Amino acid sequence: MIVPAALECSDLDVAYGDVPVLRGLDLVVGAGETVALLGPSGSGKTSLLYAVAGFVTPSGGRISVGGRVVSGGGRTVPPERRDLGFVFQHYALWPHLDALDTVAYPLRRAGSTAGDARRRATELLALMGVAHLAARRPAQLSGGEQQRVGVARALARSATLLLLDEPTAHLDVPLRAALVAELAEQRRRTGAAAVYATHDVGEALAIADRVMLLRDGAVIQVGDPLEIYERPVDAWVARLSGAASVLHGELVATTGDPAQVRIGRDVMPVELTAAEPRVPGPVRLLVRADWAELDAGAAPVAIVSAAWFRGPHTDYRLVTDAGELELRAPGPPRALVGECVGWRLRRAWVLPGDDR
Amino acid sequence: MAEGSRWRATGWVALALALLGIVAWPLFRLLSTAWGAGLGGLAAAIGTDGAAAVATSLWMAIVVTVASVAGGTALALLTERSAVPGVAWLRAGILAPLLIPDFVTAISWTRAYGPVGITARLTGVELPGLYGPVGIVVVLVAGAVPLAYLVVAAGLRVRSEPDLERAARASGATPWESLRQVTLPLLLPVLGAAAALVFVTTMNAFGTPVVLGRPAGVVTMTTRIYQDLAFSSTPEAFARVVALSALLVLLAVVTVAVAGRALAIRGERTGASAGPVAAHAPASRAGTGAAWAFVVLTVLLPLLALVLTAMTRAVGLTPLPPNLTLAHFAAALDARTVASLGTSLVLAALTAIGAVLLGGLATAVASRRGSGPVGMMVLLTFALPGSVVAVAILIAYGVTLRDTLAILLVAYLAKLWALGQRPVAAAVSRLPADLARAARVHGAGSFTTLRTVVLPLLAPAIVAAGLLVFTVAINEVTISTLLYGPHATTLAVSIVNLQQLGDPTVTAALAVVLTAIVGLAALGLLLLRRVPWGAAGVGLG
Repeated sequence: MIVPAALECSDLDVAYGDVPVLRGLDLVVGAGETVALLGPSGSGKTSLLYAVAGFVTPSGGRISVGGRVVSGGGRTVPPERRDLGFVFQHYALWPHLDALDTVAYPLRRAGSTAGDARRRATELLALMGVAHLAARRPAQLSGGEQQRVGVARALARSATLLLLDEPTAHLDVPLRAALVAELAEQRRRTGAAAVYATHDVGEALAIADRVMLLRDGAVIQVGDPLEIYERPVDAWVARLSGAASVLHGELVATTGDPAQVRIGRDVMPVELTAAEPRVPGPVRLLVRADWAELDAGAAPVAIVSAAWFRGPHTDYRLVTDAGELELRAPGPPRALVGECVGWRLRRAWVLPGDDR
Repeated sequence: MAEGSRWRATGWVALALALLGIVAWPLFRLLSTAWGAGLGGLAAAIGTDGAAAVATSLWMAIVVTVASVAGGTALALLTERSAVPGVAWLRAGILAPLLIPDFVTAISWTRAYGPVGITARLTGVELPGLYGPVGIVVVLVAGAVPLAYLVVAAGLRVRSEPDLERAARASGATPWESLRQVTLPLLLPVLGAAAALVFVTTMNAFGTPVVLGRPAGVVTMTTRIYQDLAFSSTPEAFARVVALSALLVLLAVVTVAVAGRALAIRGERTGASAGPVAAHAPASRAGTGAAWAFVVLTVLLPLLALVLTAMTRAVGLTPLPPNLTLAHFAAALDARTVASLGTSLVLAALTAIGAVLLGGLATAVASRRGSGPVGMMVLLTFALPGSVVAVAILIAYGVTLRDTLAILLVAYLAKLWALGQRPVAAAVSRLPADLARAARVHGAGSFTTLRTVVLPLLAPAIVAAGLLVFTVAINEVTISTLLYGPHATTLAVSIVNLQQLGDPTVTAALAVVLTAIVGLAALGLLLLRRVPWGAAGVGLG
């Protein structure tokens, strides 16, 4: 038996009045797969989720949930008859209902008796670790507790697809990590597919099977987290998907691994990954903070313009002959601001094209 | 700080004197006069005629409240929860009647739907029973729907975020279930407030029942008071006036108290409102059509009929170019009405200035918004019917100030003080305290701070409050018909008197003049919204 895709969007257009917010977007989310939507605010993440949920009507294209067309071809299925759960950025808990009634709400709508719905809701609250808060209303809950209730509500429909709209955006950092871990666990347990909108790279890379990068309503890159991190399609994606520096260098020898790259006056061996065939000449090298290291004995030197001690590691900013370089090294600061240090490039990614 | 506290003390004394003279003393005189009769005496004073008026007022207020809150809520859901083409025009059309005095509305309905009205002439259709209980209720509902709409729409905007309804839909609720289980329960306090406002306003209504009820012999509490004061001079009639007034005070106090308790139930909200505003589903054709039909039938058509009546040579002629004339305007603006127009303008301007000054004083001295005894007292007068305010002022100052502008001014101030105070107090409470502190720390003294920072920032709210009071004052007819005299007649009183004498064309012409003045003031209010920091100055319009 072929399991249908949990979500399939093809050539999707969404506009608010005359302003287009999504343009010809294609996305397939397999059964049980988690896709992270990564993009700055205004890139169309929420609009995509709203279109899938049926809160906005697309101006073109087609959406299928669990193999059933819910939008497109003259057909618009209302939100309540799409097989999905939704977790809202601002929680969207009903102020007049307590946590138990909130989670029981979708169960009641699905036809459960009051008793069954409350039993199941209690289980779900317990799963999210908030069973003791069942009698509280939203105003009596902290942000983290509210969002746990929100997740329990979304899980209550046992839907094949979960939509999460920046669920951690308004939580404190420690709470975020806990909630993300909880979400990943629940999702694994239920086997539901998920689309997770976020502007937090760490979350996207950690939680997703695949990451989709959005800019101005268009898809810029889709790939698994490692691919996005190591082989971004351009400098914009590189910066969005984690700390990154772009150095200007020259490829001198195209054969052999590691390749030989000239940085300023020095030629150094660099492990290179590139999308296109290597041609000698000037290149832009994407360097992640952990791809370079301080080396007292190395030939190229740079001036330390900033150093931030972070506990387990230290972040440096170096001014090199080839441009500014963000570098992360374990341990406490080993060089002071203004000092000259030797450094070495271990690996780099040759950015395709020559835009920006 | 000694300087500051001396100013504060002076302010307190001025405020106390104003409150005492304008509000407390007249109310005390009214209630002590009523108290003197005792409970049995009051019941006897009301008598069968009075009791009939009370019954009429009560059932009308209940019917109007239910109908207009339902209608206002439906309209608010349409404009705030769905994408309606031309929503700005629709909102303006729904709210327009708030600026038109109720007696003008009633007169315009008689011109449109009355026995010799425009629709009756053009289509042969007329509203049966326009002069009578049915007509009064229909016109009162038409006037109260915008009021309910204003409150509910504002509530929908700040309350029950659209995400809450989306959450219900994503949980499997149909649109109807989402409305019933999420939207309306969250709206309950707002609906209560709207109902209280409409109920009190309807109990206090005077213009509509006097225009449509008197020819048919339908008498409400307010028109009973008017008839007893204006047309009889017997002690029994006066006793009934006092008793009915005391009863109206009681009803207003009870309604305000009940609404206040209801409003305090749920003030909480979760998160911030989120989601794109344009994400509303398109409105249904039927809903949009019904809303526009409401605006056309209750606002545009009556106003058009009024203007056409004012411009047609005689009642009964078809309003076509050969029959059109401006002669009625010339006839309407004779020496007496011009004098009353002047009186109205001066009185409204003085009331606007006075109410804003008193409101500003109360805000500055009593600190922190409209709460506390000062705020309560001021608010109470606003809830009191104009008839009661007029009777109280008459008992307190009638002997000394009868037939002067002063007695009208005192009564207007008593009634409209709250209206001037609230926008100013709201603006003050929105003003971050750090702005004044920043001025002080950068070298400005307290007066310089007031002059260079606080007043410029409050200016839009102050002007808006003034214009608001001006429009209401120039429309005022309830107090004016009870307190006017040959030397102090307002334009509104002239119009009502002309209407009672049965001169439809000249009445219509004067009503158009009055509406035009109000329209100008409303235009000023609209322009004020363009001041960047004054956008939220007033709730109206």
